Amino acid sequence: MSSLPALLVAAPLLGSVLALLAGLVRSKTGWPVALVTAAVQVVGAGVLASRAFDSTVSYVVGGFTAPFGIELVVDGLSATIALLVAVVSLAVLAYSRAAGPRTNAFYAVYLLLVAGLTGMSITGDVFNMYVFLEITGLAAYALVASGEGGRSARAALKYLIVGTIGASLFLLGIGYAFIATGTLNMADLSTQLAAVGYTEPLVQAAFALLVVGLFVKVAVFPLHAWQPDAYAGSPDSVSALISALVSTVAAYALIRIVFTVFTVEFLQANPAARSLLVAGAVVSIVFGSVLAVSQTEIKRMLAYSSVSQFGLVVGAIAVANETALIGATIHLVGHAVMKGGLFLTAGLIATATGARTVDEYEGLIQRHPLGAGVFGLLALAMVGVPPAVGFVGKWYIALGAVEASAWPLAVVILLSTLLTLAYFARILERMFFRDASEEPRSSERPAASDGGVAVDGVSVGMIGVVVAAALAAVVLGTLAFEYGQLLEPTVQALLS
Amino acid sequence: MEPIVPPFVPVIVAALLLPFLGRKAGHALAAVLTGAVVPYVWLVDAGAHFTEFNLFGFETVIFNVDPFSTLMGLIFAFIGAVGVLYSYYSEAAPIQTAFALSYVASSLGAVFGGDWLTLIFFWELMAVTSTLLVWHYGGKAVRAGFRYAVLHGIGGTLFLGAVIWHFAETGTFLFASVPGGPETAGLAGSVAPVLAALGVGVNVGFVGLHAWLPDTYPRPHIAASVFLCVYTTKTGVYGMYRVFPQDGNVAVAYMGGIMAVFGATMALFQNDMRRLLSYHIQSQVGYMIAGVGIGSALAQAGAFAHVFNHILYKGLLFMTAGVVVYRTGEESLKKLGGLAREMPITAGAFTVAALSIAGFPGFNGFVSKGIVISASHYDFVKGPIHVGEFYTLELLLLIGGVGTFMSFIKFGYYAFFHGEYDGDVKDANRGQSVAMVLVAALCVYYGVFDGALFGLLPFDVTDEAVVSHVYHTYTVPHVIEGVALAVLGLVGFALVKKPLSGLGKVPDVDSLYNPGTLYGTRTLVVAVTELYARVDDAAVALAKRSVRTVKNPDAAIARVTGREQVTTKAGIDRSLLLVLAVLVAALALLLT
Repeated sequence: MSSLPALLVAAPLLGSVLALLAGLVRSKTGWPVALVTAAVQVVGAGVLASRAFDSTVSYVVGGFTAPFGIELVVDGLSATIALLVAVVSLAVLAYSRAAGPRTNAFYAVYLLLVAGLTGMSITGDVFNMYVFLEITGLAAYALVASGEGGRSARAALKYLIVGTIGASLFLLGIGYAFIATGTLNMADLSTQLAAVGYTEPLVQAAFALLVVGLFVKVAVFPLHAWQPDAYAGSPDSVSALISALVSTVAAYALIRIVFTVFTVEFLQANPAARSLLVAGAVVSIVFGSVLAVSQTEIKRMLAYSSVSQFGLVVGAIAVANETALIGATIHLVGHAVMKGGLFLTAGLIATATGARTVDEYEGLIQRHPLGAGVFGLLALAMVGVPPAVGFVGKWYIALGAVEASAWPLAVVILLSTLLTLAYFARILERMFFRDASEEPRSSERPAASDGGVAVDGVSVGMIGVVVAAALAAVVLGTLAFEYGQLLEPTVQALLS
Repeated sequence: MEPIVPPFVPVIVAALLLPFLGRKAGHALAAVLTGAVVPYVWLVDAGAHFTEFNLFGFETVIFNVDPFSTLMGLIFAFIGAVGVLYSYYSEAAPIQTAFALSYVASSLGAVFGGDWLTLIFFWELMAVTSTLLVWHYGGKAVRAGFRYAVLHGIGGTLFLGAVIWHFAETGTFLFASVPGGPETAGLAGSVAPVLAALGVGVNVGFVGLHAWLPDTYPRPHIAASVFLCVYTTKTGVYGMYRVFPQDGNVAVAYMGGIMAVFGATMALFQNDMRRLLSYHIQSQVGYMIAGVGIGSALAQAGAFAHVFNHILYKGLLFMTAGVVVYRTGEESLKKLGGLAREMPITAGAFTVAALSIAGFPGFNGFVSKGIVISASHYDFVKGPIHVGEFYTLELLLLIGGVGTFMSFIKFGYYAFFHGEYDGDVKDANRGQSVAMVLVAALCVYYGVFDGALFGLLPFDVTDEAVVSHVYHTYTVPHVIEGVALAVLGLVGFALVKKPLSGLGKVPDVDSLYNPGTLYGTRTLVVAVTELYARVDDAAVALAKRSVRTVKNPDAAIARVTGREQVTTKAGIDRSLLLVLAVLVAALALLLT
């Protein structure tokens, strides 16, 4: 199975086509196809991950050897992200079966997104990465638009325009790098860029374009404007999927670009490059949190929370030492689980009670104890209460910042815990310590929620997946330290 | 002789057993065990023993014998045994004697420690045990004991700071003389000796730090005073020697001279017998400190000779004063008089002790004080003021001598010789008499046979190879000097007797710093409470505002910006503008 990396990208593509074709035969057949594909994807990613931690797996596409051909490179970090993509997409499927959307076209796009994300995670070629970035982007725009009503269409349009600009900047950056070096392979680029000189304006411009392009995709403040609309405007299943994966994989791409392509030496040679990252991190953490506090709609608040949490990851990239990068990886995984879980729980609660705003969460514990409990647990995990995974990630990042003596960043990172608490405490207090001020809404059917999802009530799959997310947030926390050790060689290679 | 146990062990055993054995048997055992330490420390081999015993995990030497330690140990153990005898016959409670012995034991531990850690450990222990000894008496002694404890806590902490500083510099606590110790003796660095001088200065009663002395020692039981007057200050002198073992310290030497004059002068104003004697401790310790501060072999020998002699006669003085209190119940000289006829033994012992402390020829004080004064002449700088052949420090010490004469003439005159005592007073009881006569005999013995004293000293003051100027006790000018001081004292007392009797209580520094401490503490407490209240208010206000902001952020933003409504959303156009702006900023940042 030496072609496993290629199959990992090919499988969801194939599934996507299959789902579309199946729709021609019979409607509502997309879900089973997606389920099978996602399950295969999980198994494939799992097998790949079990190999990649031992030694880097690489695959040359079409027999054209690197640096001329396209290469897929899977190390511990890529394998982690690929597995994360597979698992989350499978889990969201469990939710979307009842919650919808149910069209075959939706699942075709869904699987296309998975293909794009997996491709981004395992490619070893920058242009190939751009291609997958565009696939991911286009699929995501389409998914956001899959909600009914003007709001999701408008959100999708905004996402499309802003996202495309971001991807174009990324492409422009690749172009600059290509002009400077004549190669597109990441490993080759890193040596060629060093040969050209890290202080060459061409190289610096390439870095700036690539980073700003990815900043848009990661949704770093103030380039995040597309993100709250997209998350809040799309159906619940879609918000969970894209919030858990799209920005995460974009952040992964940022790590790849910064450390594999440009390397730590570039950061050392260009203090301004590091300043750019630090500025993005600090601004995101602080303003993301502040904006999250000021939201009234739950999903928007969760979206801004993501802006703040990805600030932490960018901060870890800026710190650029082993501990911080392990922390960044753990936080990427942890955030995906927790934020995906939170969006799904928010959807579940909205389905069951119709509550979609912060005020409507008052006294939720009486109306929907399960939803309130899971939401509370995930929120606390997000704040970083030990032993949840949110704690471990932040802990490593903070530790890394302290080790690197990046004091302002360390202070902001520690402060971020308080800021996270600020917006979640507000909801926790309403859910658990207040009585519902108005008449219970549980009887009232949510009038065509903004996602426009046809609501059939809460299924076992929906409950199962949110409970699993909550459990995973805690269990991963206990495993995270061991995982950190497992990841150490990968990160060392990344930094060397 | 091979060492068996560190010398404090038998004493601490005695202290632990004493309360359980009954008064008589307990005191007998205690006297025997404490007395046994005298030959033991005399015979034990010099050098470091029990080096494998580590205190708090640091390399330490719990039993280190050198000539200085031996001298301290001999006299400490001897006066300890005499003190037990005196305690028994002065109706001291067994538990009090037990406290006293634990105090003796910690002092013995301190002077036989071969490293700073052991020294400071026993030093602090000494402060604790002596406080207990004072407290045991109850009444006014409790508050005095508290002040004593506070001051010694501060002193001990300063000394501890010095020792830690030393450890940080050298990496070891050991003394230089001990195997494995550092190369230079004394405390390393420039700050440690200063800290140590201040910390030890509390114990030896530097002027300004001395107020605990006359405050504490007159208050407890008469037998307790006998113990107290010996150990703390003398261990202090020993500690000062360890801090400045080589060349002394000019400032310390002058401080010694000032203490000698200040203590004697203040003593002259006192009417409480034990308070008067307490000031004399300061004055006499001044001679020793001057000797340590001068730092030559002659001066150090003189200082330690004076330690030895001083313990004898000062113990004796407190015993006689104790007997007077014991028999008459009076503390004040104003209410006494004519006791010589009633208490001939006590009066005799007092006379011997007074002549010794004043340094009259033929008594031990004359010998040792003479050595220090001689060292101040031959081994020390001239100083700013000199009259003829007399240098500044020497003059101070001589003036202190005159003052000593004057105040003891006063003591003797008012207690024993002036007027008649109404009523019938018995003399000291048998045990007290034995204790007093024994010590008095030693005072005379070491005064007449000065060679016996010289044999005990760490440096041979009669050997030209050892000291800069060979010391002879009985030379004509020296004896004349001694007698002249006595005559000056007599004349002086005759002159000031009238004004002195009209004089009320003379304030000392403690009348300044006791209220100072009280009001200072009060101010501090009030300030801290108020500050806390302010901080609390601010914290509560901040919390309230934060909660309000979190609950209603739009209103908060509107309040801050002064606008009714704030929109935080960006449309597509503005989003693109932002992307562009960030890109330009990033490029500008990187490309410049």
